[in-house]
Amino acid sequence: MHLHKYEKIWLTFGIGALVIFLIVLGYGAFYKGTHPQSHGVTIDQNNIESNEAFKPENLGLTKVDDDKYIINIAASAFNYDLGKDEEGNVVKHIRIPKGSKVLFQATSKDVIHGFNVAGTNVNMMVEPGYISSLEVAMNKPGTYTIVCNEYCGVGHHLMYATLEVYE
Amino acid sequence: MSNDEKKKANHNEEKSDLKGTFVSVMILGVFLVISWIGAFTLFLSR
Repeated sequence: MHLHKYEKIWLTFGIGALVIFLIVLGYGAFYKGTHPQSHGVTIDQNNIESNEAFKPENLGLTKVDDDKYIINIAASAFNYDLGKDEEGNVVKHIRIPKGSKVLFQATSKDVIHGFNVAGTNVNMMVEPGYISSLEVAMNKPGTYTIVCNEYCGVGHHLMYATLEVYE
Repeated sequence: MSNDEKKKANHNEEKSDLKGTFVSVMILGVFLVISWIGAFTLFLSR
């Protein structure tokens, strides 16, 4: 088969790019354990309390280890339930020391929501009946807004909270 | 078509000018690579 000189160059370029992209993808998936945020972990959407993580007392921030935290979020129209503090007030502001690893676990009681910590990689669909989870290292100090980025109804814009990463 | 003419036609095809195609393919390729690197860097840095 005869190939034009230029054809050989662009075929090499194209196939090379494909190989590089696939290697990066494979490395992320098999070595770093990257997976879709919702990957078949189910829950009863009408009784999310039946799951240990979404019991009212376990919602919000939990310290697991020195720089390991878990944040459990129960999303519903139109609120992110992040639990209550010691005085019984609703939590809308979470503080985490810089450099900690945070595991976000979220589920929805009703419709699909979009859990997004604006300005970070924490961005996941939250579907009723499923638990979405994502572990992220919070390395940049600052105050981030948690929003819902999946239109969920008339009160969509009321679903927000803040996450502060302090030094 | 005589044999000579056939030869000439083949010859012309082999020498077809693909410079324009090459440049457009490379422009597209570079654009794809730059956008991919941009998105990936954004993912790694946040």
